[in-house]
Amino acid sequence: MSLINFTRVGAIAGRKFASLRRDKRMVGFIIIMPAIQILLFGIALGGTPTGLDVAVIDEGPAQLSTSVLAELNQSEPLVLHYDEASVESARSGVQEGQYWAVIHIRQDGTIELHLDNSNQQISQTIIIEVRDALTAVAEESGAQLPVEIAEPIYGDAAPAFIDFLAPGIMTMVCFMFSLILTTMAFVGERYDGTLDRVFAAGTSPMEVLLGHLAAFSTILVGQVTVVILIAVYGFDIPVNGSPLLLFAVGIFLGLAAMCMGLLVSSKAKSEFQAMQLNMPIMFPVMLLSGILWPVEALPTFIQPLSWALPSTWTAEAFRSIMVRGWGMSHSEVWIAFVFNLAFAAFALLLAARSLKARE
Amino acid sequence: MGETEAAISVRGLVRGYGSLRVLDGLEMTVATGSIYGLLGPSGCGKTTLLKVVLGRLIPEAGEVSVLGAPPGEKGSPVPGSAVGYSPQEIALYEDLTIAESMRFHGRLHGMPIERIRERQAWLIDFLDLPESSRQVGKLSGGQRRRVSLAVALLHEPELLLLDEPTVGVDPELRARLWEHLRTIAEGGVSVVVTTHYIDEAGKADRVGMMRNGVLLAEDSPSAVMAAQQADSLEEAFLSLCSRDTLVVTQ
Repeated sequence: MSLINFTRVGAIAGRKFASLRRDKRMVGFIIIMPAIQILLFGIALGGTPTGLDVAVIDEGPAQLSTSVLAELNQSEPLVLHYDEASVESARSGVQEGQYWAVIHIRQDGTIELHLDNSNQQISQTIIIEVRDALTAVAEESGAQLPVEIAEPIYGDAAPAFIDFLAPGIMTMVCFMFSLILTTMAFVGERYDGTLDRVFAAGTSPMEVLLGHLAAFSTILVGQVTVVILIAVYGFDIPVNGSPLLLFAVGIFLGLAAMCMGLLVSSKAKSEFQAMQLNMPIMFPVMLLSGILWPVEALPTFIQPLSWALPSTWTAEAFRSIMVRGWGMSHSEVWIAFVFNLAFAAFALLLAARSLKARE
Repeated sequence: MGETEAAISVRGLVRGYGSLRVLDGLEMTVATGSIYGLLGPSGCGKTTLLKVVLGRLIPEAGEVSVLGAPPGEKGSPVPGSAVGYSPQEIALYEDLTIAESMRFHGRLHGMPIERIRERQAWLIDFLDLPESSRQVGKLSGGQRRRVSLAVALLHEPELLLLDEPTVGVDPELRARLWEHLRTIAEGGVSVVVTTHYIDEAGKADRVGMMRNGVLLAEDSPSAVMAAQQADSLEEAFLSLCSRDTLVVTQ
């Protein structure tokens, strides 16, 4: 194998770049798509449900009932209804789908909840609202809960769910769109003769790959910028560490994903096949990277697979930078750089092997 | 050896795809500084042969030497700037302009930008191409064919492999192209042209008549015609084919 000829790499990058520049609509699209996706994630996930119809049966001591119901009335998620005469009629209201729950304040001052537990998120919200109301009433009367939560070392005292999700979602969107960016890179070229011609000029597969990587990197920078700007500033998610470091991790993840995409591109026989090949890559990234659910919750035999994915390391680094405010002195951050780079190099070598200049 | 060495020498070449055998013990010699016409029906293996010569396909058996070395091996000038290749399927990036296509291929060969411009101006004039800012995808079939040819000629290689370069090219330009090939061949460039306009190959120094993965005949056009007692190359080819079929059926 001869050394890399950077004039040829430059020629290929320049050619690809000329194509991209010509296809402004496509470039706009590949920048706007991740923007739309991160917006949708931000809007759709982690919000608190509102407008939950709940029946109240009040048989409790007057003073307690008044203060508890006053608290519950202020609760944003709950809409209280007092029309039901008995617990039985209120329960049938739940059975008919009229209410999500019955809040029954009993004569002894205890509260009984009758839940439609078909939607866990909603019943959890109701339970939390009732508990919060009771805690507030207890604190007003001077009582103290036996457990006190001190100011958290990392993170907010009342964290929004989106704050936890954001680093993972950013990882996912950066990875997927960088992967898609390069999967189509030269599927067509391998069969329409253009690549034959490039090889006839003495170009090596690695030069072809590096040329494409260079051209697509310009778009990658745009994508990562858009994703981070929207996630951080659009949804007002606190970044306690360096935003520049966040951007750099994003670029390295994008690099790993682009090399993976080039590998797919070198294997696929058609563009349809390339899309299909992307699926078994995207799903593990989405589900096993600790993005939607912690890696620690996965079966132990699956966990090694999680740590073989660049997205797992990146999500961890994003979270460390954003929430914990950590920098390069922490292994959680610098390992993400090393792992992404190693993953990129490995995928690139496999792609070069698969994209044969001689068959 | 030296000057007598052939530009391309193929001995007992076998190559196929999977279980399909396309080239079956093929022998071929292209002299340095000559024009070689490779003739035969589509599917006979012409393109496969060119790809072996380019080093793109590895022979399963037999020996191939191109410009003094097995193509694709370490130290061989092929693939590389020594060779100009114009594939049958045109194979240009349709979203690039003519100028961008030239610049791309020129840079692949490490040509200085000034030299690319000079050659481009000459080729546009010679091949009667539209202005260089036109996008390749918006050109007619014949125009694209000529751009493809221009790309192969751009870096002035010492070996030209032209796969069906004259399809859709008008007769006047076709004549001009052959004239040019003759000029550069006299300057020492070796040219292989595949064509299915069989009579066009009468202008070649040597023709190879290919069928089912082997050459049925390889000689100067006049010698091939004389041997078959034919008045044209086409007739000679048909006569060779019928004899070949006869042998096979026997």
